[in-house]
This record gives sequence, structure tokens and C-alpha cells, in this order.
Amino acid sequence: MTNGAVIFALNNHDIDYIKLAVYSAKRVNKFLDLPVTLITDKKDWFDKYYSDYKFDKIIEIQSDPYTKRNINDGAISSKLIDWKNTNRHKVFDLTPYDKTLVLDADYIVNSSILKTAFLVDQEFQIYKHSYDISGWRNSYEFTRINPYSVPFYWATCFVFEKSIFTQSFFHLVEYIKSNWEYFKILYNINSKNHLFRNDHAFSMAINVMNGKTEGEFATNLPGKMYFCRDTDILIDIDDTKMTFLLQKEKHLGEYFVSQTSNLDVHVMNKMSLSRVLDGGSNV
Amino acid sequence: MSKGFIVAAQNTDTVDYIKQAYVLALSIKNSQKDVSCISIMTNDSVPDTYRHVFDQIIPIPWLDDSKDKSWKVENRWKLYHVTPYDETIVLDTDMLLLEDISLWWRHCSNYELLFCNRVKNYKNELILEDTFYRNAFIKNNLPNPYFALHYFKKSDFAHEFYKVLEFVVFNWEWCWTKFAPDHYQNWLSMDLASAIAIEILGCHGQVLDSAGPLEFVHMKPALQNWLEKTTPWSEIVPFYVNSNGELIIGNMKQTKLVHYVEKNFLSESLIKTYEGLLV
Repeated sequence: MTNGAVIFALNNHDIDYIKLAVYSAKRVNKFLDLPVTLITDKKDWFDKYYSDYKFDKIIEIQSDPYTKRNINDGAISSKLIDWKNTNRHKVFDLTPYDKTLVLDADYIVNSSILKTAFLVDQEFQIYKHSYDISGWRNSYEFTRINPYSVPFYWATCFVFEKSIFTQSFFHLVEYIKSNWEYFKILYNINSKNHLFRNDHAFSMAINVMNGKTEGEFATNLPGKMYFCRDTDILIDIDDTKMTFLLQKEKHLGEYFVSQTSNLDVHVMNKMSLSRVLDGGSNV
Repeated sequence: MSKGFIVAAQNTDTVDYIKQAYVLALSIKNSQKDVSCISIMTNDSVPDTYRHVFDQIIPIPWLDDSKDKSWKVENRWKLYHVTPYDETIVLDTDMLLLEDISLWWRHCSNYELLFCNRVKNYKNELILEDTFYRNAFIKNNLPNPYFALHYFKKSDFAHEFYKVLEFVVFNWEWCWTKFAPDHYQNWLSMDLASAIAIEILGCHGQVLDSAGPLEFVHMKPALQNWLEKTTPWSEIVPFYVNSNGELIIGNMKQTKLVHYVEKNFLSESLIKTYEGLLV
């Protein structure tokens, strides 16, 4: 059985996801000892700027039509950007591995904890439990897809083994994506402007695969998903230590410093991650 | 030892509790492997089409203490005295039993009297402390029993308990003043009466078991962890009963016992579904 990791990098005009993916891939090589495949819609960009890093494979895909999405860069700055991240379900057919770790490019691996996922005889492992490193914000939106509906699962990081069950799962995610307006209503997402979101589609598909119970199709990845929001700012990565300016409670635009050590962290502020990788400190 | 369920049902101007008991009985017949007998205590007329699901239809003994009352709970202490079973599980009529609970019977047989003291919402979230409906319990440091689901065995201890419960029901205002003065409830509730009976007898450890299996899904809106605390839940989340009699609320299959609470929950199509399962 072959094991490996896959990272999607679908560049837009504002964020160089390939740069983030190269950095993330190096961490996967170092801490998890896994080969990494890049799935991108801009292979020429990789060849031009990052070809000194050797991915196990590079798979070029056509990206879906983009949508617009507002993202924050710290607590008082935001930007409307192109959003193309709706191809996640294709990973079943695209991955060259029998057992695959799928990561967002902004998921920074600082430990070997995900190694243990490859020692477990489970076909689909994903994070359900997460922890906002700010410690004060209400994270209920990451507990359920909304207060009325099913548990939330993170499509940011998951491990799957190829099987008829996982194939059905990814087909189901594709079906949900194709019928997003219907599934939004079915799962009590009432906002008309609610864009397709991989996390929500995965959560709905897991609910169906489990027969609408808290069944056993999806098991928890080891540990918890630690994350900071796009209203926080990453200011430094030093080996396995990451330093953040985290949004203060009730003080708009003010931050407090926090540091993590040996923890994998999902850095939602991709712009600050990008600046840190360029050598900047964001302060 | 005979085993069975029992409910008290007294129709009001607005609610057909006999119909609720009928659908509960259908759900019991559809879901239970070992114990599917259910009896009903009522003075109301039970339609012929409903009678076949009930083991016994028992008149309310002595006087009807709920006469002229809008919320008829005053007779419920009599359930102990009328039950035809050696071991009985008491349920509210506005409940559905969706899965086999043979394990509950085995667990309960270790007790003479056992109350459910744990509920969850339809999302399977445990209600750690019900600060909306149960402040009278919390503020007065009373135990947290749910009369809507409890077990008793014909025994001296259970008999003694029900005698005390009878006293509390007949003297509830005095008892509330004595045992639950904080957040005073100006109505009789069997839950609070049971809590006070437990307090009077000091039998907490004998009748409550937090680690036991007794629990139910409580659909009172304020327990659902929503912003809406009083809107009927059926106006907020979609629900349906599928052809197997499984209840799906908000895309989550409900397990074991559900207390649906809303009086207009029972549609004709839902009743037909359960009737069809018995054919």
C-alpha cells in the first residue's frame, strides 16, 4: 500500500497558494516522512518560481469557475478575492496513493502526530474537534454547520484510503456541490448568499454516509485541529514555534501575542502566512 | 414478573391525549422486542380503533382530582396503584419510543424505583443544566428527576415513595414554599413534586443514577441551544418520520425515546405511517 500527501494549490491574483503548498510540503516531508503530490491549475507558475522543490508528482487540473469571497487580513482589513477551492472531491480520482493525507496549503505541520493516522485501520479520518488558539472566541460555527444542524467536519485536513465507501463519499460531495441550493435548504442554511464550502459539503456527506446518525464512517484524526482565524496575524515561524498576533476581545484592531510550539496549526490568514514565508514579520 | 408501560391520559379542550397515547403505543409495538405491553389510565372514551394497542384501559381510581383543571396532572400519583404490572415504566403520552430498550429493563430491575435525571436535545447534546425551565430545582438545590420517564417495581419502598408523592401533590403549595421557595413555581408539576418527595425521603441514591441508561430527547425549544427559546421547534427545523418509523429531526436520526412536546406534532400521515408498520 502506498502512502502520501496531496496539497491543492489553486492560485488567484491575491494569494500564491503554490508558495504556501511548497512550504507545507516541506513540513510534511520533514515531520511525516511522506511524499507529497501537488494538484494545481498553474503548473507553469510552479515551474517558473518553485521548481527547485521536487514534489513527488504534480497534477494539473482545470479549476472551477471562481466565486468572490471576502477574507480578512487581520482584524481591520479585508479584501474581496477570487475563490476557486471547490474541487476537493476530485482527490479520490487524482491521488496517486492508496492512503492519502489531504491538506490545505495553509495547514502548517509542526509535529508527527498525523503519522499515526497511517497506522490506523480506518478508511476515512477527519477532524471534528477543533480549538481556536485565541481561547476567547465563540467557535460554535466549527461545532455544527449551523445551530440547527449536523456536526461540523474540517475538509482542511483528512486522511482517506481508497475503497468503495470513500469513493461513494466523494461522489456524494460532488452531488451536494452540484445541488448546493437544495442542500443549503435541507440543512437549514438560510443565507441566500452562502457560497459552497467544502467543510459544509463534507459535513453533510458524512451525515448521509452515517445514515443520519453519529455513525462510524468518519473517525477522528489524532489530536485536535488548532486554528487561528483570518482576523489574527501570523508574525513568525521558527522551526516548530509559531508566533501570532491574536485579535483581542472587545478591542477592535488590537492584538495580543501568542506562541505555539510543536502544534500543527491551520493559519486562516493566508496573506500573513504568505508574508512570513517571504521573510516579512507583519509588524 | 410482568412488565409493561403505563401512561395517564386526560383530554383537554385543546389536546387529544388519548390520541397521543395511541401513537406512543404504536411506536412501542413497532420498536420493542421484549416488552411491548402498555396500559392507559383514563376516564375518557378510547375510540374502538385505538383499543387494540392497549393491554388494559384503567379508569382513574377514587375521585378525578383534575376535574376543572386545565393542565391535568393531579391524578398521576395513582399510576403506581393501578398498574397491572410487577415492573412498570411510566411515560408521558407525548413521546415516541423509537428503539428497543430491553437494556433499560435489565438495568432498572436492580432498582425499586428509578427516575430519569438526564435529557439531551435532538442534536444529541447533553443538557448539563436546564437554567430555562428548571430554575426552581437549581436554585433550591433539589434533585433533577423527570416524571415523564421513570421505573418502579411493586415494592414497599416504591409504595412509600408514592404515598409521599400523593402528599406533595395534595399539598403542593405548602411543599413549594417549604422546599422550593426560590423561583417559586405557581403551578403543580410532577417533576418538582417528585424532586420534593425524593428530598423528603432522602432517597437520592436509591432513585437517581446519573450513569444509568435512562434518558430521552427533550424537544422543549429552550433546550436546543438555539437563539430562539420559545418558538415551536417544528417551525425551525425540518422533520419527518420515514417508512421504518424512524424520526429524523434536522437531518439527525433520533434514538430511543423522544419527548416531542408540541401538541400539534401528530399529523394524520404520521399516524398512518405507524399504523402501517403494525399491519
